[in-house]
Amino acid sequence: MLEVINISKRLGMFRMESISFRVERGEYLVILGRSGSGKTQLLENLAGLTTPDSGTLIHNDEDITLMPAQKRDIGMVFQDFALFPHMTTYDNIAYPLRIRGETALKIEGGVKEIAGRMNISSLLKRKTETLSGGERQRAALARTVVTSPSLLLLDEPLASVDASLKDDIIRLLRSLNREGQTIIHVTHDYSEALALATRTGVLHNGRLIQIGTPSEVFDRPVNRFVARYTGIKNFFRVSFTNNASGWSATTSRGLKFIVDNNDYTSEGILVVRNGNVRLIEKDDGGAAEAMNIIEASVIDVIMTPAGREIELDAGETMVALVTAADRFAGTLKRGDPVTVGISPSDLIWLRNNN
Amino acid sequence: MTIKSLNDGGDLFRWALILISALVLLFIVTPMASMILHTGLPELFETASDSAVQRSIGRTLAIAFISTTIFSFGAVPLAYLMARKRFPGKNLIQGIIDLPVVIPHTAAGIALLGFLSRDSAVGRAAEWAGISFVNNSTGIALAMAFVSLPFMINAARDGFAAVPERLEKAAMTLGASRIRVLFTITIPLAWRSIVSGFIMMFARGMSEFGSIVIIAYHPMTAPVMIFERFNAYGLRYARPMALLFLMVSLAVFVLLRVVSTGRRLKD
Repeated sequence: MLEVINISKRLGMFRMESISFRVERGEYLVILGRSGSGKTQLLENLAGLTTPDSGTLIHNDEDITLMPAQKRDIGMVFQDFALFPHMTTYDNIAYPLRIRGETALKIEGGVKEIAGRMNISSLLKRKTETLSGGERQRAALARTVVTSPSLLLLDEPLASVDASLKDDIIRLLRSLNREGQTIIHVTHDYSEALALATRTGVLHNGRLIQIGTPSEVFDRPVNRFVARYTGIKNFFRVSFTNNASGWSATTSRGLKFIVDNNDYTSEGILVVRNGNVRLIEKDDGGAAEAMNIIEASVIDVIMTPAGREIELDAGETMVALVTAADRFAGTLKRGDPVTVGISPSDLIWLRNNN
Repeated sequence: MTIKSLNDGGDLFRWALILISALVLLFIVTPMASMILHTGLPELFETASDSAVQRSIGRTLAIAFISTTIFSFGAVPLAYLMARKRFPGKNLIQGIIDLPVVIPHTAAGIALLGFLSRDSAVGRAAEWAGISFVNNSTGIALAMAFVSLPFMINAARDGFAAVPERLEKAAMTLGASRIRVLFTITIPLAWRSIVSGFIMMFARGMSEFGSIVIIAYHPMTAPVMIFERFNAYGLRYARPMALLFLMVSLAVFVLLRVVSTGRRLKD
């Protein structure tokens, strides 16, 4: 479908280096990266708005590296939507159909059909400046997909949309993908990757540092950056030791963890997903398996959409995520003593320290 | 900024500002008002019914309009180039574009005359083709264009520069070729600036005197005729024609503005 081979591009101080990945038909690839990581740059290379300094792009078995944007059959929705301000919503959506020389009847049919699917039929006569963020997003999506491009590129599609409307757009994107639309979506927000991606990648300083299924990337981040990026807040710099009972890891402040066997180096970084730091009753830990049991006290409780984040002092600071269904939800306050259980298999060793 | 927001700076500051601004405006308005007050209606009507005056004003407007229209076809692409492309020597080219604004217009006239007269290669070639520039409408048109082109180029350039490149990129990903993007996105969005540049160039060309008087004293454009009447008969005789031309210019100016903004409101 799309094969990106060793693409590099220099742009002033910024360098995009040796990016390679494949996207298969029907996939939904979410690429995560902070602002300045090269996300937009990457999409513009794929769309043909800039050409890479080196490397190759293969799209549907055709080398498109130097093909002009208008011939690529790759649609792109820009972060600020780039709707044409001098046209109505209808004319915006009709634009690519008119370019292709469709008949007036076909254009009208095409626009009305896609507007219906995007739920913007009532907005067609309005100038795009009068639309809300969510409406603009739908109009921009409609304009891009009305010609059924073989690949759809989305640049931060949820960044300019009100939080209350994000779910709507997410559902819309999922349904587009279900109907077979191949999508590459770049964002800074890992929750979008969790909600949408069939595969996800992490872009940092112009390099694609990890790519895989969401569970590969989220459960086995290759480095600290990816781990932080996927929402992990528990990082421990430890030294590993091996004795008769197996491997253990100790932080500089003396907190000790039992860890699964592995070919550890002497020092490294351990991370734990917030949700894997479990609050337990004092005496029910370790029943089934060797569990790390740690006494801690509550520093703060922060509400998040995913649940309550409990910031804990356990010698080291750590964060536990407690969902509404948890028996501890709602009862904890600053200063409360708690017992924390962390399974050794949930302690992730980052092989790459940077 | 409203007058009210200046209050924080104190009343003295506010009043000083108002006073200075008023003086500047007064300086612009007073000579015009004085000209109107010193010109009687009978004199004005008499001048307006003078067929030489009518022809002269009509000629001035017509030549300025045609000259502006023809040169727009060159000025707009150059403006686009200046707004969108980076190339070595761009600052130099911008300097060349602005040159007609800063050089004395009589000097521009002398330069044009040297270039276009029958003694020059261009002049001889034109003559062979049956065109004469000196003391001819064509020469007037060229002189007008020479001094007024910067207004059109710079206004259009600013208009093109203000069109977000992302919109052009979006159009390209939607399948539009560069030329199509230019005509469906870039020019429509820069249209107001282009029209405003057109009006500025037209107004400037219409009022040109210095270079025209050198390249073509005859046929007389309105500014030249005003000058001639002043020179031969004095202020009293020149004033009605000056007022008449000023009124016609203002009327045309306002009309063009209304036509161009009316078009925008209808959209």
